Amino acid sequence: MNEYLTLAEVAEAAGVPARTIRFYIARGLLDGPIKAGRGAAYTANHLARLERIKSLQSEGRTLSEIGRILGGVEAEQAAAAPTAWWQHAVADDVVVWTRADMSPWRTRQVRAAIGELARFLGKERKE
Amino acid sequence: MSDTAASFAPVAAPTGEPIRLAMQRLWLTGRVLPAGARLTVQHVFRSGEDKPLEVIYSFPLPRDAALRAFRITGEAFEAHSELRRTEEAVKTYEQGIADGSLSTLARQYGDGVVNLTVGNIRPNETVTVYLEVLAGVELRDDGFRFRFPFTLAPAYHPRMKAAVVAEGEGEMELPPSEFGDMILPRFREDAASLHEVGFDLSILHQLPIEEIGSPSHAIRVRQDRVALATEKDVPNRDLVLDVRFKETAVQVFAGASGEGKRAFAAVVPSTRFGVNTEAARRTVIVLDRSGSMEGAPIAQARKAIEACLAALSESDSFGLVAFDNQVESMSAGLLPGSRENREKARAFLSQVDARGGTELARGFLEAARMLAGGGDVLILTDGEVSGTEQILAQARNAKIRISCLGIGSASQDRFLALLARETAGVSRFVTARERVDLAAVDLFASIGRPVASGLKASANVQPEPQSVVFAGTPVLLFGETEADPGAVELTWDGGRLNLPLPSGDGETGHTLRLLQGSRLITDWESRYPSEEALAPLEKRKQSRVGAKLLALSQAYGLASREMSLVAVVKRAGDRAGELPETRVVPVGMPQDVKFGAYFGAPAGGAPMAACMMPAMAPPTSAPMARKAFGMLSRVRASEDKDAALSVDPLMDLASELEPDGGMPGDSDSVRAARSVAAVLALVAAGHTLTGGAFRSHVARLVKFLKLAGGVSAGERALIGRAIEAASSGAAPRGDWLALARAPGATWPRIESTWRAGFNPRGA
Repeated sequence: MNEYLTLAEVAEAAGVPARTIRFYIARGLLDGPIKAGRGAAYTANHLARLERIKSLQSEGRTLSEIGRILGGVEAEQAAAAPTAWWQHAVADDVVVWTRADMSPWRTRQVRAAIGELARFLGKERKE
Repeated sequence: MSDTAASFAPVAAPTGEPIRLAMQRLWLTGRVLPAGARLTVQHVFRSGEDKPLEVIYSFPLPRDAALRAFRITGEAFEAHSELRRTEEAVKTYEQGIADGSLSTLARQYGDGVVNLTVGNIRPNETVTVYLEVLAGVELRDDGFRFRFPFTLAPAYHPRMKAAVVAEGEGEMELPPSEFGDMILPRFREDAASLHEVGFDLSILHQLPIEEIGSPSHAIRVRQDRVALATEKDVPNRDLVLDVRFKETAVQVFAGASGEGKRAFAAVVPSTRFGVNTEAARRTVIVLDRSGSMEGAPIAQARKAIEACLAALSESDSFGLVAFDNQVESMSAGLLPGSRENREKARAFLSQVDARGGTELARGFLEAARMLAGGGDVLILTDGEVSGTEQILAQARNAKIRISCLGIGSASQDRFLALLARETAGVSRFVTARERVDLAAVDLFASIGRPVASGLKASANVQPEPQSVVFAGTPVLLFGETEADPGAVELTWDGGRLNLPLPSGDGETGHTLRLLQGSRLITDWESRYPSEEALAPLEKRKQSRVGAKLLALSQAYGLASREMSLVAVVKRAGDRAGELPETRVVPVGMPQDVKFGAYFGAPAGGAPMAACMMPAMAPPTSAPMARKAFGMLSRVRASEDKDAALSVDPLMDLASELEPDGGMPGDSDSVRAARSVAAVLALVAAGHTLTGGAFRSHVARLVKFLKLAGGVSAGERALIGRAIEAASSGAAPRGDWLALARAPGATWPRIESTWRAGFNPRGA
């Protein structure tokens, strides 16, 4: 099998219409073809990504959530309204706000930092 | 409120840069007849990008509508669409895109939503698509209402997903298993920066026009032409046009439609049939309490239901159902229309508030259960639901007659018209800024008691007319004949009508044939469940509905879900393989639906203004935003609420009627006196035995007065004159409303008021 696929072939293989694939590319959910112009080509990676999008959709995720999960939509993320925020009371007089829709890895990282901050401030106060 | 006529070019708020709109203008032109409209919708697309653009514009079809063709023009080119099987059309479109050619596809999906996709618009190029659409109108005995959607209402679906994608911009997704690759527009809270919209229509009529008005837009009327009065408007509500004729009469249109045939359409007012019978009515009123009904609509609907119930007698029976995602009914079965039960209804209604989703089918299925096969259902709803084919299938299976009062500024007109028609009921649609209560009482007066039944039309009529006719709603017939001059014949239980066809011109004949086709296609579309319509071609070939739609599309040259419109323009310099940038055209949130209700609260500039978790909230609980989307509590804009909430004093008066049809009172004498005053108050406001929303209340009062006892000869004479006034529509001046509502109204006061206002109204 040819390693490169046309858009029509990707659409056929993934069961996703070509127009929808272009829509995903425009939204940053999927990379564009690896070669532009007449021989525009897509690869197995595109197929895998489409499968991933489909499975996230079936879990009830919106396209914007999927965009954030897949981490490929800086532009959209920046423009998106902050929809929900967590409030972490790290000390009696300090509150830290974090976005509720951060990606899971980032959430872990931020929580660890907040934990450290809380410990640090607690220590400072005792001293 | 967004500026409805911004005269400056839209700019992006943060940067002050002009916004590059992929679609810049949508302009509606065409001819509107009482039998339907033949429209041309102009869409102007422009690419401000440095790469080719693919633009998707998503819109809902009006009622009884179908797409016929489009023409696409630009610098030095013009092309016309072809009607092809949908698979083939999509393939042609995709090949055109792959070849780098300008390609356009108009494809219909479930719920009558259309995606118009124009791909490979070159950098800095302007392309215009003129799309021809056939559409129906909402007929009334004395005129018609025409509605055209300039936006699309977000609609409830149990598996929908909603998200805020940018500040003041929301996105909705529907399950692909049911809706295929249909793309919905983004919903913009502020429509001012979107494409401009407008209209210029001509009205084709036979009867002299009394008035052309619009509850939705400022209009300019010059003879038979009606246009937007301002330079341009924004896409945040439907266009609604009301045409009222000077008289109520039969209208027959006809004209040559090719191959030696003549197409015709006839509009026969309900007044040409009989009067409604006095048979006992069995009615269940179903009230939509979903979040989007909050505010004036639900308050008005509650009041209206009370007034509707006051038109019932003790031999009538009724039920009351309220639904959102749950169903509640006032009683397990139907109750007689007694005073006591009406009080019970009032108590039930007082605790009905707008809240959750819109599970419309559950509401009418409960009503069907209560009616157990016989009677009528009146639904008061905004109809903002998706997956309507499924709901329609349930309605047909329930074998009940459903009449609908639709409420809203963006149209679910197509669905509610179908829901009523497919179950042999009638429908009315009002905008949220009109009087919901009056419309409900008016509709309630028609349903339950047909003015004709067993209606049949001659063989040349298609689709077959509904077998029953209700007061206020004319019968619309379409057909084709080879005979010259030809005629249409209507028969019903106890009546017959022969309508000779006029000669007419070829253009009218052609339009009438297309309107017939779009009506037939809409009917069959409504019977095509999504999973069947989205099945692979081989499987669809087995589908009876699919085959019928294909045949209709071919016979009438109109699109459906089986056939789509496509055009590819090959030009020098087409660059094969270049991937266009895909853009979806946003639309405005409908005027009376708050953005925050579907898409969560819009965020302010500072992060702290966003939805906040309560302090110390455990980080494991679900974010609030997700919860807000799930609840679907749509909140109506508060502006104009007070005006809309003001209840007509006549509505209160009508609610007071006793089950025997008379006004309440301590004695027979007081009751009769108050009833005379009530008749005159209603007549003075334009309601008579046969006309006006309160006609059934007038009829019940008159019936009571005819039988009233305990009155003197002089009083009897006054009663006679009041009954006369109910027929003639002429009432003497006087504060009859106050007298009717005064618990101590006496005959001497009635008589002196009558004498003082002796000059009849208008004399």
